Amino acid sequence: MRVFFELMWFFKQHKWRYISGIALLLAVAALNLIPPHAVGVVVNELGSRTLTRGALFFWLYVIAGTAVLSYALRYSWRMLLFGAAMRLAAELRRKLYEHFVRMAPQFYHDHRVGDLMAHATNDVQAVEMVGTEGILMLVDSIATGVAVTLTMVLTISWQMTVVALLPMPIIAYATSKYGKKLHERFHGAQRAFSELNEKVQENISGVRVIRAFGQEEAENRAFAELSQSVVDRNVAVARIDSLFDPTIQLVVGLSYVLSVAAGSYFVVRGHLTVGALIAFTMYLGQLIWPMLAFGWLFNIVERGRASNDRITTLLAAPATVVDRVGARDETPTGDISYAVRSFHYPDTTAQVLRDIAFTLPRGRTLGVVGRTGAGKSTLLRLLLREFDVQDGDIRIGGDSVYDVTLAGLRRAIAYVPQDHYLFSATVAENIAFAAPAARMEDIRNAARSAGIAEDIERFPDGYGTLVGERGVTLSGGQKQRISIARALLLDAEILILDDALSAVDAKTEALILDSLRAQRSGRTTLIATHRLSAVEHADLILTLDGGRVAEAGTHDELRRFGGLYEAMYQRQQLESLVEAGGATA
Amino acid sequence: MTAGPETAMHQEPVLAPERGVTRRLLRYMKPHTRTLAGAFVLLGVATAADVLGPILLKIFIDGYLMPRRFPIRPILTLAIAYSGLLAVSALFNYWQLFTFQRVALRIIQRLRVDLFGHLQRLGLAYFDGTPAGALVSRATNDTEAIKDLYVSVLSTFVQNGFLLVGIYIAMFALDVRLAVFCLGIAPVILLIMAVYRRQSSRIYQLTRRELARLNARLNESLQGMYVIQAMRQERRMRTEFGEINEAYRRLRMRNVHLNGLLLRPMVDVVYFLALMLVLSFFGLASRSTVVNVGVLYAFVNYLERFFEPINQMMMRLGSFQQATVAAARVFQLMDEQDVAPGAGGAAQGPAQGPAQGPAIEDGLVTFDRVSFSYDGRTDVLRDISFTAKPGQTVALVGHTGSGKSTVASLLLRFYPVTRGRISIDGVSLDDFGNEELRRKVGLVLQDPFLFVGDVRGNIRLGDDDISDAEIEEAARFVGADRVVGRLPGGYGEPVAERGVKFSGGERQLFAFARTMARQPRILVLDEATASVDTETEEVIQEALARMRMGRTTIAIAHRLSTIQDADLILVLHRGEIVERGTHRELIGQGGLYHAMYLLQQGGSSARAAGGTGQ
Repeated sequence: MRVFFELMWFFKQHKWRYISGIALLLAVAALNLIPPHAVGVVVNELGSRTLTRGALFFWLYVIAGTAVLSYALRYSWRMLLFGAAMRLAAELRRKLYEHFVRMAPQFYHDHRVGDLMAHATNDVQAVEMVGTEGILMLVDSIATGVAVTLTMVLTISWQMTVVALLPMPIIAYATSKYGKKLHERFHGAQRAFSELNEKVQENISGVRVIRAFGQEEAENRAFAELSQSVVDRNVAVARIDSLFDPTIQLVVGLSYVLSVAAGSYFVVRGHLTVGALIAFTMYLGQLIWPMLAFGWLFNIVERGRASNDRITTLLAAPATVVDRVGARDETPTGDISYAVRSFHYPDTTAQVLRDIAFTLPRGRTLGVVGRTGAGKSTLLRLLLREFDVQDGDIRIGGDSVYDVTLAGLRRAIAYVPQDHYLFSATVAENIAFAAPAARMEDIRNAARSAGIAEDIERFPDGYGTLVGERGVTLSGGQKQRISIARALLLDAEILILDDALSAVDAKTEALILDSLRAQRSGRTTLIATHRLSAVEHADLILTLDGGRVAEAGTHDELRRFGGLYEAMYQRQQLESLVEAGGATA
Repeated sequence: MTAGPETAMHQEPVLAPERGVTRRLLRYMKPHTRTLAGAFVLLGVATAADVLGPILLKIFIDGYLMPRRFPIRPILTLAIAYSGLLAVSALFNYWQLFTFQRVALRIIQRLRVDLFGHLQRLGLAYFDGTPAGALVSRATNDTEAIKDLYVSVLSTFVQNGFLLVGIYIAMFALDVRLAVFCLGIAPVILLIMAVYRRQSSRIYQLTRRELARLNARLNESLQGMYVIQAMRQERRMRTEFGEINEAYRRLRMRNVHLNGLLLRPMVDVVYFLALMLVLSFFGLASRSTVVNVGVLYAFVNYLERFFEPINQMMMRLGSFQQATVAAARVFQLMDEQDVAPGAGGAAQGPAQGPAQGPAIEDGLVTFDRVSFSYDGRTDVLRDISFTAKPGQTVALVGHTGSGKSTVASLLLRFYPVTRGRISIDGVSLDDFGNEELRRKVGLVLQDPFLFVGDVRGNIRLGDDDISDAEIEEAARFVGADRVVGRLPGGYGEPVAERGVKFSGGERQLFAFARTMARQPRILVLDEATASVDTETEEVIQEALARMRMGRTTIAIAHRLSTIQDADLILVLHRGEIVERGTHRELIGQGGLYHAMYLLQQGGSSARAAGGTGQ
């Protein structure tokens, strides 16, 4: 029952909906007492041959009136109560979505997309059931139960009623016991469903690799195993689930036996007529329904609680990257200076960056090079506050990035991530993702600067071509350049290119870098790359090695220095020289 | 973003409610016929025991309580019999409830496994055009929505159907007029059902389609969240999601509205009308003849009982409708004929044994006048012909979008070749079994996809024939052992979704090892060296040289340096081969290749090249 309290925030928000809905529900129950009464009167008068035409029509009109009224009321309470439950579901989905939007990348490392999806679908549905069937059963079982019990007390005998109700605590005990077990097992079942979701999600995302390696059979086996686990866990739920009805049936049966035994005693003693005893057992029969409803209620409520727990746990995950207290909503501008003593990812202790200190004057270009895993990408992502630095600070124009709001900080930055992601929308909409109101002309310009304009014009519908999950198949390089165009359109003071040119060829790279230099004079650019040609003209180049800055300087300085950078340069040159030799020799 | 869902999602057709759906759903019950029959027997016995209980009470009251006689023995017998009935009823009810649930779960599992298996056979073109979220939703949520059908709808319909017949027979025995009268109610109820089914079917379809759209949007948002956040589009995305969420809620309200108009409330109105008819019939008749009050009482009583099972069934009609619509969606995906090209160009089950079909021995790859289009409108490849002799390396160059990757996709049979012919060892690509093709043709993708699990599992990728030693050997072979050595967990280091914790270069290395662990005959390198740093790349270049030794290789590279020793270089431009030859020949031709070559020299090392006096 706790879930009703846990959902109280919602019930309170819609208390009039609930109060009026429940009132109508009760009114329908009361209305339904009228037709039997009418029938009783008509039958009696028929029997005593006193029924007049007028009386007959009167009662017929009463029944007709009841029919119309209860139809209207039944419809209305459904709209009110079920409508509220639909709102509850929508509200939960909204809450989840808003939460997801606030969560930093770490959250997405810890939770898989399929799992998050399962929360928003299956679990929301189980909670919604509390709002529909749950409320209905609650009201119905209590109202009918109380009404029948009161009738028994008032019209037959309170002693008999007490005897009949003696076994009822067993139901309360058993259902709460089952409820606890059901809760645990349903938790497991929902988790299994999450895993199933994750599997399908991964399978579809990785379909090319699976096909290329002929892993369809292995995938089928893995899926069959997971779906078997879903079956097993749900069968475990069903084992408990199926206990509710028979248990209630048994207890009500016991109650029957007790009532008849006690009733017989009272009858023999002359305290009760046989007719009253029969009437009493009939009333007892009417108690079966509210008791069963009570069992179902427990069932629904425990499922709902398990799912609500899951949702609440997810919602309770704190947003790790948030606006600090007193953060100003300003767009920072100016020189970028790093003073990061150390950084490690939240879930590991291994240091990814150490003693990073440098200043990049406004309008200059920074190049970050180093081998795979040296920390290039991490260094840039700290500026964007994808993760927060534990020890140290990063400043833009003298202000710590932590002293401005996230929105403010990110207004200053246009970011091209290593992994490009396009949304299911047209090319134009994807380029204008961060500025939906952008003019077509600006979109075209950005596309031209990113070296993708020509490709786009060759697409079947040009800028209106659908891309993303259900669009045309684009090559990695095309996606990357659309991703670059998206960032360029923003015309932000700071541009981050995180290995964003890896899938484009040298010719395109040269073209893009040229247009960047031409257009972004006076604005700051940060480039992480493997290809040194991309940072040759940078004002400051950092060579990272094992998370530390091994060397810093311009291309020429670093070459003269003769360290890591020079070694990398020589290696890349060597290739070219070999190539050149191959051509001329 | 705003136009996206409008244009694409609304193209999903609203299916006509098919008669076939119910039949197919019933077919899934076939393996469980005996269990289900058993469950129905249990249900019947439990119901019978339930009905018998009150009769025992009646015997006690009439036979013993009324005459105030209380002989121990018969009363004890009655008490024991009653308890026995109760126990039997409870026990059988438990088994019955449990069995229906278990069978339902198994049927849903079967459906899911079938659907998933079908997804494994569908052509890649299908995945290109369908959002992942929508597919996931079909495989899990839509199948889940069918479950109720087997858990409760089926048993309710059967049980109450029997009950209805029973009550009807009783009514016939009691009074023929009554029975005929109730027969008149049936068409009214059936009419309501028909109207409901027609109306609700459409709304349920719209609802489930909207749900799929909602899920697709949610899924896409989750996958692209880093972009949304970096570009500060949180508010817009929230608003757009809110709109879909609201549209979905409104559709569901239409469902509630329809259920409220036509189901229980409407049946109650019919009941009241029937009651009025009975009363007026008897009431008016009483003016001319003497009315039997007992018959009237029974009439009214049975009328009430008659409506009970009808109400039970009407209550489940909504679930039934929803299950049918969900099932139609599931079956529609299962009927999707856009299957991946397999042996013989036909759809092929993964069950096909490895021993069947021709084997790839030498690795002679031939493309003969191959043209291809993804969308049927624009050709991305035109008239591609070349031969890669066993052990040779054929390189494809050209700027992005020239169709290089498509050549690789076709060789891997990701898409069907409709114009022209691709053959390996002289045998048409269509004739190879999937197993043979996948084992012998190794691919390194430009987007190295890692699976959740650990590093070892990502190299092995489900192929249990590959030993740990072979995995480590493959990792050493491509130089991934260096990366693994740095990981705290070594080969057991966990990999999160899509391998997000690893850099592009590291992921690339694992993907290399994955390919090499399989020792393919033919190697397809798709822009494999694009995002690895110089040092790593050097290691890889060495490994590649070793890998290519004795293997036919189709290489797609951006940098001409990596393919200059290729036996044949094909220069692609807008889907056509514009130049072909060895590095030296092409440089000598002074065409596009030469221009690209000069550009590359100029881009990365203009000064150095100048310095060496070129």
